[in-house]
Amino acid sequence: MKKLLWLAAASLAIALPAAPVFAKDEFHLYNWNNYIAPETIKRFEESCKCEVVQTYYSDNEELLAKLAAGAKGYDMLVPTSNAVEALIKGKQLKPIDKSQLPNLKNINPIYLNTPFDPGNKYSVPYAMSTTIIGYNDVKMKELGLPTDTWAVIFEPKYLEKVKGRITVLDSANELFAAALKYLGYSANDVDEKHWNEAVAVIKKARPYWAAFNASSYIKELTVGNIWLVHGYSNDIFQANLDAQAAKRAFHILQGMPKEGAVLAVDNMVIHKDAPRPDLALKFMNFMLEGKNSSELTNLIGSGNPNLEAVKYIKPEILKNPAIFPDKAVEAKLEQLKELTGAQRRLRNKLWTEIKAGR
Amino acid sequence: MSSATARKSARLGRWLVSGPPVLYLVVFFAVPTLIMVLASFRTPGEFGGLAPLVEDGKLDLNLESYARFFSEAIYAEIFLKSVWYALATTFFCLALAYPLAALIARSPKRYRDLLLLLVILPFWSNFLIRIYAWMIILGPNAALARTVNGILGGFGHEPVPLLFSSFAVLVCLVYVSLPFMVLPLYANLEKHDQALLDAAQDLGANAWQRFWRITFPLSLPGVFAGSALVFIPALGIFAIPDILGGPEDSLIGNVIKQQFLETRDWPFGSVLSIVLTVAALAIAGFAAWVARRNLGTPSSAREASA
Amino acid sequence: MRGKRRIALWIAAGAGYAFLYVPLIIVIVYSFNNSRLNAEWVGFTLNWYDTLFHDQDMIFAAGNSLAIALTASLVSTVLGTAAGVAMYRYPTKLLSVLVLAPIAIPEILMGVSLLIFFVLLNFTLGLVSVALAHIAFCIGFVAIVVRARLAGMDESLTEAARDCGASPWQTFRYITLPLIMPGVIAGALMAFTLSIDDFVITFFTAGAGTVTLPLQIYSMIKIAVTPEVNAVSSLLMLLTLALIIIASRVSPTLLRSQEDLS
Repeated sequence: MKKLLWLAAASLAIALPAAPVFAKDEFHLYNWNNYIAPETIKRFEESCKCEVVQTYYSDNEELLAKLAAGAKGYDMLVPTSNAVEALIKGKQLKPIDKSQLPNLKNINPIYLNTPFDPGNKYSVPYAMSTTIIGYNDVKMKELGLPTDTWAVIFEPKYLEKVKGRITVLDSANELFAAALKYLGYSANDVDEKHWNEAVAVIKKARPYWAAFNASSYIKELTVGNIWLVHGYSNDIFQANLDAQAAKRAFHILQGMPKEGAVLAVDNMVIHKDAPRPDLALKFMNFMLEGKNSSELTNLIGSGNPNLEAVKYIKPEILKNPAIFPDKAVEAKLEQLKELTGAQRRLRNKLWTEIKAGR
Repeated sequence: MSSATARKSARLGRWLVSGPPVLYLVVFFAVPTLIMVLASFRTPGEFGGLAPLVEDGKLDLNLESYARFFSEAIYAEIFLKSVWYALATTFFCLALAYPLAALIARSPKRYRDLLLLLVILPFWSNFLIRIYAWMIILGPNAALARTVNGILGGFGHEPVPLLFSSFAVLVCLVYVSLPFMVLPLYANLEKHDQALLDAAQDLGANAWQRFWRITFPLSLPGVFAGSALVFIPALGIFAIPDILGGPEDSLIGNVIKQQFLETRDWPFGSVLSIVLTVAALAIAGFAAWVARRNLGTPSSAREASA
Repeated sequence: MRGKRRIALWIAAGAGYAFLYVPLIIVIVYSFNNSRLNAEWVGFTLNWYDTLFHDQDMIFAAGNSLAIALTASLVSTVLGTAAGVAMYRYPTKLLSVLVLAPIAIPEILMGVSLLIFFVLLNFTLGLVSVALAHIAFCIGFVAIVVRARLAGMDESLTEAARDCGASPWQTFRYITLPLIMPGVIAGALMAFTLSIDDFVITFFTAGAGTVTLPLQIYSMIKIAVTPEVNAVSSLLMLLTLALIIIASRVSPTLLRSQEDLS
């Protein structure tokens, strides 16, 4: 018995030294994984003489649920706009002292002063992505399918040709938005009649879809098992890089539907119980510098609201209309708004029926 | 020992054995769960979480979430679907695990620990990449799918997707649950006395009879333990349908997860969870009752075979 | 057991092992895959192991996971064995419910409820809160296996010990415990497995800066779960296997079943 206890202690002793010695100045960043370039972090750590401790989430809702239950200890969060709205209304954020953000002037004004945070009292734009169509160019050409309209994922006459080879996002908000856009309504339309129309469209297309998937669809697209996806622009961009690295015979391209799409702007916000709001503000200002902001775009192909960053972004990314859309397309992009509790419940009921095969 | 001190030390023994686990579970399980049981009677917060318990000096409790569950049939439907999946998983796990556990139990002592470890070793790798490995195995261009669809094509049948289907969900459910059936079965089979089987053989019983009349009844406690540890968690699973399920493979675990995340309706999520837990405990209790009635207590089974 | 029957058992068990190991072999082989994705074989490379050795965060997370799993499985095995014995000797409805319910309850409910509970108590979230949560859901697994092992136990041995004047603790230590040891070991293995791979409950009870391996890996789910994950998993499996083999050499009497003692 004693030997076993010694062994347990020894194992713990082996495991624990892997724990780093904590620096006195810690900045806790709660962020999406791979949503900041490692060089950027290093440079910030040098400039602020602090340590950046990152923890990750992979869904806005996970972040919201954890904070709603009372979790503390995070300095900065990076939620998407509708989540920012929820956080502001739920009084979870600390107001920003804009006098400490001289670099705020670098941001494109059309992304400032949003309806959910007028005057940018709490949030500052960080990076963007759109939810669009991703496709295997060889297969789409072979099958003669259009790639610039939501019809290709909703209309049976097109779906027949890709049956079982197409996935859509496993997100009620995203899929409803796509269906509403396809029907010609706003993505934020809350009319129940329009929702029922969207449900009908979805149910008609469902038999042809391989899956509702938000996690493993990208790799299936990249290796050619899936030919068409409803997905996020960053992921599709990365998929193409991976496909080229694997020397595949096809490209993975982004298709911006002409009916419009959802724009997701991720913002930097400070939690109300942040232990180091001063470091958070430093980080915000740091990330508002053009060069620092550009590094993420160059890494993952994310959209960038920072005008100064344009100087540092790779030209091929700048030319990509799905990442840097022209004015005409920009007009059709919409950010998702928060729903009321009753609307969320209705949407979930409809979504449950859709996913149960009813 | 005098009888008084014997009784005292027996009572002390009882407290020492039951006390610590009960205390721990009350503090770190019962109390937090009761918080959420209370939550099932509350109103969801407008932006997430829960609305304040006391609103304008009045206690804000209601049965709305329960009413919703009982008034809409879809939740019961999905729940039943999950029960079917869990039952199927348990059955296939049992079929696969029994030979494995039997082999390990009957192996020479020096190999037993190693064989047992080999069963559980794969499960110390991360869940996600194991599932991704199954996606590779079941992929449309992989050998398995090609073979199956080749055969089906020979009969003029349309190709069937192995991935993103109920089949994939079931295979992975069985895969992740298998060690939880093997280990309890092994713990039981290990103590079976070979002498009983030899005696039966000498008396003329064939292999099937030896298994069905001696080994299987004696292994029933292990069968039930393994079935409980597979069936009950399988009811609440959501990750596997999320990653490789088809468009209609949403289970009750997925619905519950959505309540806490996308819909932010914690009271309803609590209601669904409570129904799930109560149903799981009820099914387990029912199975145990059936077992006791049909087979008597384990000790009487032992006496019957003696 | 004679020839033919034995072969049938070997084939059936072999199928079981194959079912378990084909995916695992893919996992290990793909840790050498020259592609960011875990989807198709592209070419051989050792780069991912190199990446892993330079990835402080991943190693830190793996160390945390190992520490939590060792602690949680140790404590839950002790408490679970006690609970299993109690369920057999002194069964009560309360105990049965307390043991079974954590297994039944959806993880997300348990995670959220524990988070709320810790916040109410103003308990700082971190490795300890995660370990406490893991113990709570592991106890049931150990208890059920131990209980099943005790079923049909031959009471004559314990009665004989008592008649010879052994105290309850001595009876337990020298008679009961060796008899139930395979059940205890099985329970400990299950508890370790559950803890090292848990995501949902860990997500909610982890503090800012607490990272375990599943937390690290699941956050990659929407980007790419690279072969670095395969590499860390393969190494972790090897390490754990080594630890256990060492443990069984160090404490041979403790881990052997009753038969060996006679």
